[in-house]
Amino acid sequence: MNDKFLGLDIGSRTAKGVLLVGDTIHTAIRPTGFHMQETGDALVKELLLKAGIRKSDITHIVGTGYGRITLDFDGIPYGDVTEISCHAKGAHYLHPNTRTIVDIGGQDSKAIRVDPRNGKVVDFVLNDKCAAGTGKFLEMIATSIGLTVEELGEVALKAERPARVTSQCVVFAESEVISLKAQDVSQADIAAGVHLSVARRVGNLLSRVGIESDVVFTGGVSKNKGMRRALEEVTKANFVDLRLDAQYAGALGAAVYAREHAASNTVKHESRLKDRDLFASLREELGRVREAAA
Amino acid sequence: MTEQNKEAGTQKRAGYFCIYTPIEVIAAAGATPIRLFKGGDSIVVNSGEVYTRSYFCQFAQYSVGAFREDDPLYRSIDKIYHFNTCDQMKKGVEAIGEFFDVPYKMLCLPRERNRDASRQFMQREVEFFRKDVEELTGNPVTDEGLREQIRKYNQARQWVKRLSELRKQDVPPLTGGEFLDIVKAFYYLPVETSLKYFEEFYSHIAAEKASGERPIRLMISGGIIADGDRRLIDLIEKELGARIVVEDHCTGLRPFYYPIPEDKPPLQALSDGYLDTAPCARMKPLEERLDFSQKLADEYRIDAIIYVSLKFCSCYSISKNSFTKRFHGLEIPVLDISADYSENDLGQLRTRIGAFFELIRKGDSHAAA
Repeated sequence: MNDKFLGLDIGSRTAKGVLLVGDTIHTAIRPTGFHMQETGDALVKELLLKAGIRKSDITHIVGTGYGRITLDFDGIPYGDVTEISCHAKGAHYLHPNTRTIVDIGGQDSKAIRVDPRNGKVVDFVLNDKCAAGTGKFLEMIATSIGLTVEELGEVALKAERPARVTSQCVVFAESEVISLKAQDVSQADIAAGVHLSVARRVGNLLSRVGIESDVVFTGGVSKNKGMRRALEEVTKANFVDLRLDAQYAGALGAAVYAREHAASNTVKHESRLKDRDLFASLREELGRVREAAA
Repeated sequence: MTEQNKEAGTQKRAGYFCIYTPIEVIAAAGATPIRLFKGGDSIVVNSGEVYTRSYFCQFAQYSVGAFREDDPLYRSIDKIYHFNTCDQMKKGVEAIGEFFDVPYKMLCLPRERNRDASRQFMQREVEFFRKDVEELTGNPVTDEGLREQIRKYNQARQWVKRLSELRKQDVPPLTGGEFLDIVKAFYYLPVETSLKYFEEFYSHIAAEKASGERPIRLMISGGIIADGDRRLIDLIEKELGARIVVEDHCTGLRPFYYPIPEDKPPLQALSDGYLDTAPCARMKPLEERLDFSQKLADEYRIDAIIYVSLKFCSCYSISKNSFTKRFHGLEIPVLDISADYSENDLGQLRTRIGAFFELIRKGDSHAAA
């Protein structure tokens, strides 16, 4: 039966896979590692095992995330869709009334507005290209106060007076945290302060697309309870609970796209432009001028 | 070019950065005008930072860095002429003069083109410019010489515009990357040479029949896209399959749109013509610039706009707000990219632009930032 679709979300830190068999969702996860194809293959293998099916049963695969470009699964039709569209699709699948998504991953954060009729992206904003407001930021700060990133969120929930952390830059925030430590501020208060700092940053992204309920929190950092509380506090929004770990939203969206692509028989758009001979002598002459050799 | 200079091989090279420089004056004195707009290399930018600050615009920093790195083209320049457009480039030129002993002349460019005082002032600046170029070259710049150069450069502008117009077809026979090469010929080569290329290109490309599906038609708008700054263009066209059909910036179609008047005394023609060129965001009122952007968008039947401003360019990063507002009103999607010359954000750019195209292909006409 043609009802088995696979979505792979090869993120900057973590790779996630979702296999949709009818409406049954199978999941797999592992660190992205260095070789994205191997990671992808391992995820596929694990999912096949979990679902008890063969590779040839899969109708279509869609990849998303940073590693989406280079993947190849011999024989199985493959396409790629950006993680922005996939997070929207995945969140919509789990909760059709989703209108706003905040996605915090390992190396970036995004605010996405979604059309609740079809799960398509209406508008989106990404953070600037630095670690501020991302999972990486939290990870580095956690290390500097002697916690793992998993502990950081739990510890933050015990804060009495969240510390003021104003730096958005990892390097500066780290020295800010060190001086807080020197002032005997508790681990919990520092942890809470760091989450609030990230939440303000991400809150700015959200206000640029506009926050409309229902709001869904996706990406690896969505597992962090301290982060969720800080975001709810800053944005005054209530996040919806999903029936699936929201870290899989992107991979799930990719699987849903795989199903749609298979249905509409979409072929991946290939457009390779070749350099035209006509321009060869001009390019040569310009090259000489640029090197002042003319 | 005078015969004496040709023989002695002493033809002077005058460098300029901004398109508000009346290069006809330089050519009429027998010197070669060369636009210094390589850009695109973060190592050169870092080198320039020795004299500027990290929060200078990437292009200004690059321009200083190119002298520090002894770029052969930049070092071959005898004098820089700078019609002051933005503060960062002005300070950049001063730094080049101060730290690398490069002669330069700073000239003023009024912001309000519609005032009589601006017109009179600009004409005096062009006169001043003419005298300086005469001193540099030792050659007189005659009215007749200016008229001849105005005619030649107008011809070249006309060809560039005609080549661009080939892109109005549903499936453009010319890519945005190729158009940038055409534009480079105008800025790097003597006008007689570039005219030959333009005619040859036009006769070939106009005869071609482009086939295939109508691609996403894009306008690139915003600040300068330097000669060496190709990665965004390649990402859009070679990797993601869309086409740049028109550029609303100073290294694309924009400066070629309007000719210099040929029916006025040459100095007045140049000062009026350059003031009336399709406006940079540094000119006032900003509305005129937005009107021009909209005119291009209509003419070239674009699907969407990618607005690119270089990091720390105050001019284009602020005016993007009015720009975006205008095009949201017209329901044309605008993607705002803050660019620099580093290579480390290609993955993020691929995702942002890719998602933008996914949104356009689905027929949603909202904007993304």
